Amino acid sequence: MGKSNFSLWNIWVASTLLKCLLFPAYRSTDFEVHRNWMAITYHLPLKDWYIEDTSIWTLDYPPFFAYFEWILSHLVPQFVIDDNCLVISAEPPAFSWPSVFYQRSTVILSECVLFWALQWYINSSQPGTERSKNFVVASSIVLSPALTFIDHIHFQYNGMLFGILCLSLVNAQKKNYLACAVFYTILLCFKHIFLYLAPAYFAFLLRNYCLNIPKKVPRSFSSVCKIVNWLNCLKLGSSMALVVGIAFGPFAYYGVITPLVQRLFPFARGLTHAYWAPNVWAIYSFLDRVLIQFYRHVWKTPVESLASTTSGLVRVVDFTVLPNITPKVTFLLTLFYQIFAILPVLITPTFTKFVGSLTLCGFASFLFGWHVHEKAILLVIIPFTFIVPKDKRLFEVFKLLTCAGYVSLFPLLFRPAEYGFKTLYTFVWCVIYYASFEEITPSLPRRGFWNRFNLIYIIGLLPVVTIVSVLEMLSSTVPVLQRFEFVKLMIYSVYCSIGVIASWNSMSWLYYLDDEIWS
Amino acid sequence: MPGSEPRTRLNVTTFRHSPLSDFLVPFRKAQSQWVARYIIVLFAVIIRCAVGLGPYSGKGTPPMFGDFEAQRHWLEITTHLPIKKWYRYDLGYWGLDYPPLTAFHSWFLGKVGGLIDASWFELDASRGIEAEGLKSFMRITVILSELVCYVPGVLWYSRWMGRFYTHISPIDQTVVAAAILFQPCLIIIDHGHFQYNCVMLGLALLSWVSLLYDDYAIGAIFFVLSLGFKQMALYYAPVVFAYLLSVCCWPLPNGFNILRLCAVGTATLSTFAVLLAPFVLTGGFSEIGQILHRVFPFARGIFEDKVASFWCATNTFVKYRSVFSLAQLQLLSLVFTLIGLLPAVVIIFLHPRKHLLTWALAGCSWSFYLFSFQVHEKSVLLPLLPTTLLLAEADHNTVSMVSWINNIGLFSLWPLLQKDGLALQYFVLGVLSNWLLGNLNWISKWLLPGFLIPGPVLGEKVSRQDTQTVIHTHWSWSVIVVTSYIGIAALHAIEFYLDPPRNYPDLWVIGNVTLSFGCFTLFWLWVNYRLFMMRNKKLKTQ
Repeated sequence: MGKSNFSLWNIWVASTLLKCLLFPAYRSTDFEVHRNWMAITYHLPLKDWYIEDTSIWTLDYPPFFAYFEWILSHLVPQFVIDDNCLVISAEPPAFSWPSVFYQRSTVILSECVLFWALQWYINSSQPGTERSKNFVVASSIVLSPALTFIDHIHFQYNGMLFGILCLSLVNAQKKNYLACAVFYTILLCFKHIFLYLAPAYFAFLLRNYCLNIPKKVPRSFSSVCKIVNWLNCLKLGSSMALVVGIAFGPFAYYGVITPLVQRLFPFARGLTHAYWAPNVWAIYSFLDRVLIQFYRHVWKTPVESLASTTSGLVRVVDFTVLPNITPKVTFLLTLFYQIFAILPVLITPTFTKFVGSLTLCGFASFLFGWHVHEKAILLVIIPFTFIVPKDKRLFEVFKLLTCAGYVSLFPLLFRPAEYGFKTLYTFVWCVIYYASFEEITPSLPRRGFWNRFNLIYIIGLLPVVTIVSVLEMLSSTVPVLQRFEFVKLMIYSVYCSIGVIASWNSMSWLYYLDDEIWS
Repeated sequence: MPGSEPRTRLNVTTFRHSPLSDFLVPFRKAQSQWVARYIIVLFAVIIRCAVGLGPYSGKGTPPMFGDFEAQRHWLEITTHLPIKKWYRYDLGYWGLDYPPLTAFHSWFLGKVGGLIDASWFELDASRGIEAEGLKSFMRITVILSELVCYVPGVLWYSRWMGRFYTHISPIDQTVVAAAILFQPCLIIIDHGHFQYNCVMLGLALLSWVSLLYDDYAIGAIFFVLSLGFKQMALYYAPVVFAYLLSVCCWPLPNGFNILRLCAVGTATLSTFAVLLAPFVLTGGFSEIGQILHRVFPFARGIFEDKVASFWCATNTFVKYRSVFSLAQLQLLSLVFTLIGLLPAVVIIFLHPRKHLLTWALAGCSWSFYLFSFQVHEKSVLLPLLPTTLLLAEADHNTVSMVSWINNIGLFSLWPLLQKDGLALQYFVLGVLSNWLLGNLNWISKWLLPGFLIPGPVLGEKVSRQDTQTVIHTHWSWSVIVVTSYIGIAALHAIEFYLDPPRNYPDLWVIGNVTLSFGCFTLFWLWVNYRLFMMRNKKLKTQ
């Protein structure tokens, strides 16, 4: 269509209407968490926000998110307040439809940031093929099953947060480095999980904004000094400090920084979540369990029985056979792979290399991090989407990553009511976007040998999901199955972690060794 | 998802600017057009899943609950009782009052559901059960039933119309099919309120599609099955009967075709026999009497609750129930209905043309809805099915009228849906269906800055007609349509802000009924007028 506008408007209307229908869907404890935060910020003075602990769902996001909740709480209409929406209590108060309606709508409205950022991304491109590519990227992000499930069913505000991330990325692409840094800092002050992307940002901004690498080797002291662009450093440092100051300043003024930081970084959690996120530790825990069975049944060695890692109640997990993993190990592993990922950016600081390193930083944190949640897969998928149209080989990695990542979210919505919605929505998304990306990415001269494994893996997801669903369905009639409750989750997390780890491998291969993609 | 292929055939201009066709742009290429059909079906199912998350009728209202409990109860009694007790067991508590195919359908679903969780359908013990899994199971059975019966009918119907009547490209046929599948009333009644209307409507639709493809005996079988699922399919029976009779016996267009007559007759009778055989074999012929007694409850009133039929709407002025006896009312309503359906039946009998069939069905079923005995508000789904199928005409004025009457139909369901707690779904589906068809394009044109105006074509030079699908081109219809919308908005606003006066607690509902009745009557007259004007028109090619 020659004169296309490539507007996200229609997609916004359609998805918003669909999301309104999801209002009565399942909501997790995160709903109560955010309600409680609204209540805290509404009733208490700022200095008590990070101290108040009536409910166990204490405020543990950085200050901008607290300010955001403060704004939301002051916009609550009277009939929602009457519905106990803003009550601070240990147990969730008896709220009903108005509160749900209000909170769900704030998610939809705050998500407009994402639509706005991506519409800007589309409009800032050259009309023609580039614009159509950007349209596919943008629409695939806004319609992403992960965002729909996590934000509009499970309940969180990721749409807005990733909207800010996209703003920062678009600025990076347009070489507005200062704005890129400021948006990223704002994002950090909303949710500190984005710290995992910091190394890539650091390398990218350092190389592009703070240093002028001269062509010749510098021979005088003054030319060495000129390698560093001092003015830019000052601008960057002061603007980031300003943002951080706005966020944390008031809390520093009241002297409550220490409890704030303690809230932000709790270390009392276990290595894995109740449901293992599909990462390296899922495979590790799985191996441990297999070895336990071996010890018991093959070598007839008694193994002291331990609390099950999948029971969900146990906070700190000890492995039985394999050596224990300490937070320090996970931290070092993450850091190692992240530092590795930023080296190419330091050498060639292009936008595509930068997005590649963001993706790998996300991968490293997801695969090796401490107490990773399966929702964190968005941290990998969303930056990655921006570079997928570059090359078919990246697209193959993307297919593997998205289908494994999205299927791994299925246990998040565990009720039967959402079953049809989650499976069909993911399926349709995959069909439409795999076809669209296939169309817009330049084709390969030859099909890679490994792609067949990709295809087998993706098709293999169908029986995996079917088997787990059948197990779930029959668990009430066949009592034996109830004892293997954790098997369902284990099937999901082990199978999906294979996909995620494989996509990380191929991504690393392409990123470090295949230069023609990134030029 | 951009497609850069030029379209080969541009016959359908009606939906050209609709978001629906905007979404299907990526599938316009010839080799991917088949994908589009599956995509729209998947999206139709996704919307139904999302609507199904909401509440159902009678949730948490003991002792009788609502339609959901009735359907569940039938799964319970058919799986646990011998066939001869199906129509006799504890009739006070949701006794089975639909024909045998509903019973068999319930039996099958009950058997499957029993494999998943036997406690859902335990005899007597499961009454009023409200398990989370049960709700999901029941919701899924409606979706699967619709996928089996209704969706293929819609796809085949729009394909036939596109190929042989309107001559539009396959992708535009898909757009039409999507427009039909996103009709809000059926979605919200079946998947929100909870019923299996899609089965009856789907079987009826399959029968009409068979008639379009000249498979008369198969058409008769499907129609009997439809009747055998819900007796309400009788709304269509006069037209189907007249059409079949005409193509078999009427000597003028086709000649007297004794073979065809025998085939249709045998098919009809044997299907009835198969449906009734299990009852006769287990309980003797008296069972048939019992089924008829259960299925046609003439002892009930002329209307239930408030419904936008002639009798209820004019009841405000004439208190029929005090003026006439029940028997007199039955006769009166029969006479009115017969007079009402006469034009449609006569025209289809004299001119058995395929493109008239849907119009005649609409005329006939509207007359039943407006004038017959014992009409429910949900019965509006029956006339709305052939009415919605008229979207396949892809003609500006027809589409505008059909969109309008679908909106009025949805509005007429409002009192029921409000009671069920489906207000959110009501508004969302109302907006969604209109917006998909492009009826709300004028809002996008007004509100949005230029770069946001969506779509491949809307941003280009736009003629006046392109942006206002909702309005009929004739000024008198425009006035009527706009007035009715203002009336709807006013009624919703009044109801939201004011309680009805104490002496007339039903005042707002009566307003709803009167407005809907007026619009339905006008539409019924318009259908008959169009039918009369089109009676001699021949298909372009066939």
